[in-house]
Amino acid sequence: MFRYLLLEMRRMYRDRRFVFFTIAIPVAFYLLWSNIFAKNSGLDTDTGLDAKTYLLVSMASFGALGASLTTTGPRLAAERQSGWLRQLQVTPLRPAAVIITKVLASMCLALPAIVSVGLTAALTQHVRLSPGAWAAMIALMWAGTLPFAALGTLIGSLAGADAAQPLTVACYFTLSILGGLWMSVSVLPRTLRHIAHWTPSNRFADLGWSVVAGHAPPVSDAFVLGGWTVVLGALAIVAYRRATVRS
Amino acid sequence: MSSRTQDRRHYAADLRKSSVVRMNAITFTGVSKSYDTVRAVETLDLEIGSGQAVALLGPNGAGKSTSIGMLLGLVRPSAGTVSVFGDTPGAAVRAGRIGAMLQDGSLVQGVTVREVVEFVRGLYPEPMPLEEVLALANLSSLARRRADQLSGGQAQRVRFALAIAGAPSLLVLDEPTAAMDVESRRSFWASMRAYAAGGRTILFATHYLEEADENADRIIVMTRGRIVADGTAQEIKAAAGGRTVRFTIGDQPTAGLDTLPGVTAVELRGGTARLRTTDPDATVRALYASGVQVRDLEVKGAGLEDAFLSLTGDN
Repeated sequence: MFRYLLLEMRRMYRDRRFVFFTIAIPVAFYLLWSNIFAKNSGLDTDTGLDAKTYLLVSMASFGALGASLTTTGPRLAAERQSGWLRQLQVTPLRPAAVIITKVLASMCLALPAIVSVGLTAALTQHVRLSPGAWAAMIALMWAGTLPFAALGTLIGSLAGADAAQPLTVACYFTLSILGGLWMSVSVLPRTLRHIAHWTPSNRFADLGWSVVAGHAPPVSDAFVLGGWTVVLGALAIVAYRRATVRS
Repeated sequence: MSSRTQDRRHYAADLRKSSVVRMNAITFTGVSKSYDTVRAVETLDLEIGSGQAVALLGPNGAGKSTSIGMLLGLVRPSAGTVSVFGDTPGAAVRAGRIGAMLQDGSLVQGVTVREVVEFVRGLYPEPMPLEEVLALANLSSLARRRADQLSGGQAQRVRFALAIAGAPSLLVLDEPTAAMDVESRRSFWASMRAYAAGGRTILFATHYLEEADENADRIIVMTRGRIVADGTAQEIKAAAGGRTVRFTIGDQPTAGLDTLPGVTAVELRGGTARLRTTDPDATVRALYASGVQVRDLEVKGAGLEDAFLSLTGDN
């Protein structure tokens, strides 16, 4: 399986344009929003963070979410259609190993997205955090991408190559909005606010917001994110098995 | 009955059992497959001993690919069981005993030929050395090329390399030469025979008759989901209509040719008569006795093509 992970990473990083945009988009949005909102120096009501620090976490989450969804869903669907995954199916590699590897590989692109937004925040917006807070934020947010990578593999196993791309984008935007990555959840209507509380994206960003605000994230974050990972991951493995054996 | 006889019987039974397990690479027992209302494969019973090179011959839609899919665990049978070296197809695949070259489909993107072959090799417990795989598949000079930037014939060679990389005991090829020109086809079969020479079992599907004739020890002819003939190329030709007696008849009357002994069909074209017969000796004897002036007499075995058409035709 380690060999498969290496092969997948090699394939992903050779797609330079893809890697560039995956990392450049959250960085560009971070620069845009922080320049617009930095002028109103008010603090966020929920977290007590100033705009540029709050946005650091939002855009790092946005980037990590995008990286983990786009490297899994559309690619897996395309490989299913192209016959490559069928070829792998007649080798000793197990179906679960395919899904697990896709998840791990996507996390390997989420990490640079998180780190790049962090670097941009520190270098251009003078966001100052303790080394411990930086390390904790990056590590927690990296681990927190798991449910999104699992969701991507589920999309890739269920949808055809044509449908996977728009479906991924729809999930990407919905999760970003409900997660409070574009604007604070506090501005959403009440019902949506309740739903937002249970989304993996909101809990994911909450990991980062908590750490940069100087306290440990609530345990419920881990439960919600863990729950989504287990459910989506299991569904993805089942869906992938079904997609590859014609009954 | 003495206990000694009993022992001997047990021993014989054990021997028979173990030799069945060892000899059969593939066993289909009452296997059928339907897609919705379409019956793709009808009750298939089949045994293929290990070390054989077997061709699965049939027109499009005969059920060849579905049968291969079931053999590889890619398609679940509607009824019956498939076993590969005494195990389920899935278990045989996981144990690395099967290598397969599937129909069409593009290769993986973004890696070189060497990288993808090396990767697939690494998935098997006892793979063939990398350089040997590349040489056997005639890929040594293409090893650094991107796998997604190859011509159709070159891509087929990569697929062949992926199928043999793990040195599987059973090699399954589904219409392997479909995208190849004549020259690539010839060198492909040479590679395949070199691989088979190691005592491995080969099963390939094809609708090219001459490929089956030249490369298989045994030919299984399928049509509309059923096996209609099974044997060596010779046996199939014989079973399907015997031989042809051909001679120049000119403008002599042709009445009565169809009643000569053994004759099953008469074909007249431009002064030439072709009689298909099950007994050429009797046919020729009676032909001379009939008073017809026979010139340019030729007796030929029916081609595999004739056999194939008569087996898969509507009658």
